[in-house]
Amino acid sequence: MNKQQSATDLTEKIDLATVLKAKNGSHLKLKNPLITASGTCGNGHELAKFFDLNQLGAFTTKGITLQAQPGNKTPRIAESAAGIINSIGLENPGVDQFIAKKLPETAQYNLPILANISGYQADDFVNIAIKLAEQKEISGLEVNLSCPNIKGGGMIFGTDPENVFQITRKIKQVYPGYIIVKLTPNITDITTTALAAEEAGADAVALINTLSAMKIDIEKQKPLLANTYGGLSGPAIKPIAVKMVYQSYQKLTIPIIGLGGICSGSDVIEFLLAGATAVGLGSINLREPAAALRILAEIKDYLKKHQLNKLSSLIGAAHQ
Amino acid sequence: MFKIIANRLVGPKIYEIIIKADKLIEQPQPGQFFNLKVNKLKSKDPFLRRPFSVFDFNPVSQQLTFVYRVVGRGTEILSSFKVGDSLDLLGPLGKGFTLPENKKSLHLIGGGIGIAPLYYLARVLADQQQLSIYLGAETKTELNFFQQKFSELKCSIKLTAMAEKLDFKGTALQLWLKNLPANKADFIYVCGPEKMLLAVEKEALARNIDGELSVEKRMGCGIGICLSCSCQSVESPLTRKRACIEGPVFKLGEVELDE
Ligand SMILES: Cc1cc2nc3c(=O)[nH]c(=O)nc-3n(C[C@H](O)[C@H](O)[C@H](O)COP(=O)(O)OP(=O)(O)OC[C@H]3O[C@@H](n4cnc5c(N)ncnc54)[C@H](O)[C@@H]3O)c2cc1C
Ligand SMILES: Cc1cc2nc3c(=O)[nH]c(=O)nc-3n(C[C@H](O)[C@H](O)[C@H](O)COP(=O)(O)O)c2cc1C
Ligand code: FES
Repeated sequence: MNKQQSATDLTEKIDLATVLKAKNGSHLKLKNPLITASGTCGNGHELAKFFDLNQLGAFTTKGITLQAQPGNKTPRIAESAAGIINSIGLENPGVDQFIAKKLPETAQYNLPILANISGYQADDFVNIAIKLAEQKEISGLEVNLSCPNIKGGGMIFGTDPENVFQITRKIKQVYPGYIIVKLTPNITDITTTALAAEEAGADAVALINTLSAMKIDIEKQKPLLANTYGGLSGPAIKPIAVKMVYQSYQKLTIPIIGLGGICSGSDVIEFLLAGATAVGLGSINLREPAAALRILAEIKDYLKKHQLNKLSSLIGAAHQ
Repeated sequence: MFKIIANRLVGPKIYEIIIKADKLIEQPQPGQFFNLKVNKLKSKDPFLRRPFSVFDFNPVSQQLTFVYRVVGRGTEILSSFKVGDSLDLLGPLGKGFTLPENKKSLHLIGGGIGIAPLYYLARVLADQQQLSIYLGAETKTELNFFQQKFSELKCSIKLTAMAEKLDFKGTALQLWLKNLPANKADFIYVCGPEKMLLAVEKEALARNIDGELSVEKRMGCGIGICLSCSCQSVESPLTRKRACIEGPVFKLGEVELDE
């Protein structure tokens, strides 16, 4: 056997699979931990021009609302040190058009599709979940609770554990599939909302969404984003996200999908060690459309270097 | 990665960067753009790429040229790249200008650094079509480089500046309108600040003149995944067009423009 062959054999023996356990036993098995994050991966075909999408663990759709949304006015994006601030405002065609037009396109790829859903009142989430429950191409819902509750005076749903509990439970009653609750970091203690999601029957939590932020254009002497406020993402938020995953891992029994600023294989390893079972790639896709492939190779290199053949052995290892 | 062959100052804060584009998969069309990574070594700050329209492309020498103005952090870094350095670029991206076949008189109207994409368009069209070029900027020095480049082509060119009298003193729109009675337009191409696009579009539509414009929206990805560059179509607020995919070139009257 020559050298090259033995190196390939070793790579092939490395098992990158990860399992998102479910309450009812119907686990979500991913061939690797990389999931594209909502709102940063289009509808699939845009990224597929740059790499074979089937290399991913799973794909998450842009946020879906009950009715079509035009989104915010532009500028919708600003930059900060190693980060970006966005205020897209959930531009999407609404759940019916999503099912009719977008889903068939994304479903061409051979990987689990997670539908990211948003609402402005509790019933919106329920009504979307009912419609999506009939779509067998969808492997699960990711419930985005970083949106304002119009009936609740505009407060962000995900900042109140009681709200998180109620919405999760309502969705659970109408949606039989896998439910991920995506949490906002704009809260004092994220473990309170993470626990609320778990108690209400969520199969997993995803953290974190963007951090509330803004930028002022000092020439115009006005907020730069048309919407004034936006959400900070990218490398700038990674340490905050790692901490929140680490803290939540200590209290939860359900799996955690970790995301926030991941740009490299080392970043992924850090999230796994903190307790994430899978991870989301967000802002990096904007900068480097084929980043997922590079990151996969870097993960394999790390495992090889540490003589590990199972990625899952890293999950939560920093706690031991 | 592509090698930089030149990166030189050609006007006030205006640079011309030439890249050896030997590994391009597709030949760029006039009006298309590239998204450039403006980092040195492995830095991730600034995080986003910067979009620049193709100023020129030569398929024989495989040279790709951009002309850019230094306005902030990213363009500042770009201006410090040296000949021989490598540049990471994505493209060609977006939808370029439509090249008309049997229009008689084409007018190209450019303002400020918005003149950049019009040069490649003019170079591609100059041999077959009758071209009139109207260019405006704050000062004459901003126009010198462009004037020199356009004057090598078979076209008529008129210049204006806000600060001094050239062929005219005022905006590119005013210059164009002044010449319109004597020089009829069948189709126009416009690029410049959004305020200028809006003003030219209004005057052109009022005269039933057809044409296209190129918008400069802040972009996140340049490849259609983030919806940062979303424009509202004139038909309905819910019909959205991404400047990086369905644009940056749009028909006059296709998308809403801001003041
Ligand atoms: C399709 C397209 C083609 C362009 N072609 C050219 C060209 O040929 N020559 C040229 O000089 N400029 C061009 N621009 C504008 C150019 O992209 C910006 O000037 C540049 O991104 C500024 O970066 P900065 O870091 O120096 O400025 P900063 O203000 O520090 O940049 C911060 C952020 O804002 C964005 N931004 C700032 N100004 C603009 C702007 N006017 N338009 C879009 N995004 C902006 C940046 O991309 C970055 O994400 C084009 C823009 C677009 C959308
Ligand atoms: C342009 C953009 C759009 C986003 N849209 C959504 C969305 O529709 N729903 C959602 O739950 N999160 C959305 N997010 C948040 C990301 O999915 C992710 O949680 C966040 O950006 C942190 O990860 P990152 O630092 O890797 O980007 C968006 C983020 C960005 C940058
Ligand atoms: S810049 Fe991201 S969709 Fe156009």
